[in-house]
Amino acid sequence: MGKEYANPEEYGLADLLCCAAAREVQDNEIVFAGTGLPMVAIMLAQKTHAPNLKLIFEAGTLDGRPPEIPTSVGDARCEMGASRASGLYDAFSIAQRGYVDLGFLGGAEVDEYGNVNTTCIGDYLAPDLRLTGSGGNPDINSFAKRTVFIMVHEKRRFTPKVSYITSPGWRVKKWPEGEFVHRRELYGAAYRGGPSAVISTAGVFRFDNETGRIYLDTCHPGKTPEEIREMCHFDLDISRVSGETLPPTREELHFIHDVLDPEQIFIPKVTKG
Amino acid sequence: MGTGKRITLQQAAEIVKDGSSLTFSGFTIWRRPMAIVFELIRQQRRGLHLIEVNGGPHTEFLVGAGCVDIWESCWVGHELYGKYGANLSRKVGNKEIIVEDYSHAEMMFRFAAGAAGAPYAVTQTSLGTDIHNPEYDMLSRAGKRDGKRIPKQKYVFTDDPFYGAGPQVLVPAAKADIAIMCVQQVGEEGTVRVSGQYYSDPEAARTADITIVMAEEIVPEEYLRREADRNTITSFEVDYIVECPFGAHPTGMFGRYDVDGAFLKDFYGRTRTQEGFDDFAKEWITGLDHMSYLEKLGWPRMLTLKANTALNYSTCVKRGQ
Repeated sequence: MGKEYANPEEYGLADLLCCAAAREVQDNEIVFAGTGLPMVAIMLAQKTHAPNLKLIFEAGTLDGRPPEIPTSVGDARCEMGASRASGLYDAFSIAQRGYVDLGFLGGAEVDEYGNVNTTCIGDYLAPDLRLTGSGGNPDINSFAKRTVFIMVHEKRRFTPKVSYITSPGWRVKKWPEGEFVHRRELYGAAYRGGPSAVISTAGVFRFDNETGRIYLDTCHPGKTPEEIREMCHFDLDISRVSGETLPPTREELHFIHDVLDPEQIFIPKVTKG
Repeated sequence: MGTGKRITLQQAAEIVKDGSSLTFSGFTIWRRPMAIVFELIRQQRRGLHLIEVNGGPHTEFLVGAGCVDIWESCWVGHELYGKYGANLSRKVGNKEIIVEDYSHAEMMFRFAAGAAGAPYAVTQTSLGTDIHNPEYDMLSRAGKRDGKRIPKQKYVFTDDPFYGAGPQVLVPAAKADIAIMCVQQVGEEGTVRVSGQYYSDPEAARTADITIVMAEEIVPEEYLRREADRNTITSFEVDYIVECPFGAHPTGMFGRYDVDGAFLKDFYGRTRTQEGFDDFAKEWITGLDHMSYLEKLGWPRMLTLKANTALNYSTCVKRGQ
């Protein structure tokens, strides 16, 4: 099973996102994973370039090595091979204590400073649509050194102003007035970092070290920077594009479909031809 | 040895009064006390205040049935079997329910404070978000902050007075009248043994004034006391016990049965409207009791969900597409 890159007809968009996410993980890191594609991505990293990463599931599994993909973080499958199976108090205390290097999260909307909304669409006091609510999104994003968001790319989701800031980006609201300040100013000694990437179905985005503003890093195969800029309601910086998002390798596809998610719970298998 | 703690499902639901505040065991779609939740719906309980670390199908059933006035938590949905809580979403839109949003860690720390008898907890999470927006303090807007069961303030912002670590947020302790738990084993005197992740169960049970434990099986207390280090909740923290096999269905239970994903998908798909919810409740809740509910599910379905005793999850259930 080779490390050569697969041809476009051999993989789907979910494969591409999963591999792009897995490549954000470095070996020996402590990683916090939510339900869904992030779990597959982290376990993929664990099977490939980061065999010593430590996995935390929010429901209370610490340093887990599940042999097959859990359906959710509360799943019985999480704790096979784990160092400890405990509870949320442990998981969040460990995170607040500063152990977590990287968290994978999702979102319905993101603004140009990486503020993410998972709470409602429209006015919070009279919402057009109430979503799930925060879950652990703001917590992991407050406590981890880096966070990576995986999102469906639609123009309405990449907006200058999210309906509700559920999860803190690089410029956040200082209460009680609500004026925007740099995250560093608000978190004091608890400041460790913030959003490091957004992986959308169109490309991979990163944030400027100084200003915290989003920019396009790589375009997924078949997309141009101009097209992706058109897919954002804010003025996307495309001056720093480094190239195309690397496709999955055949080895990665093997792990995703034959080992981690053969039941196609989160990642559908593309049938050739 | 009997201790008088053993009651029936119906009696358990009767302990909950109109207007009670409730919390639950479990995590999202795992180990939720569904059999008692269905009984509360049959008994048409009203005006409940749910305060929970996170929500799930049990929240959605109680909200859909009109039992809930206030929901204080951070998340509701069915994981991959239903993107969000459609019933809560509908009732928020119609202003039929008050939702007070905290973050997940804040809710956890609120329960840790409640369980420790402390008035509040301190944390550094979610600073700079709209969760802390003073305009979005919904219980205050509704004039419900009486300083008794509901704290006078949603948050207090402060700076670390000890080490100079900067901004901190104080979150009020959770208070609840009743915790309804769903676990694998409880002893006759109330000792609880949870297998697998215990989520936020110890804190939920300790925070509430009354704790009701529904278990797959009631076992001899002496059996649990042979290995006390494996037990999760102390005997005297538990007031009532109920024996109820498959009491968490359609949610799952480590070592016993998987989540019934098809059931949750069906529920999510059919209950976007109130009419849809009422139809679903007619089919699966009202007019049935727990045994006739299980009969309706049928043995083949239950056996498919049944966990492999070596692996603690089902190897027969179909999870993917």
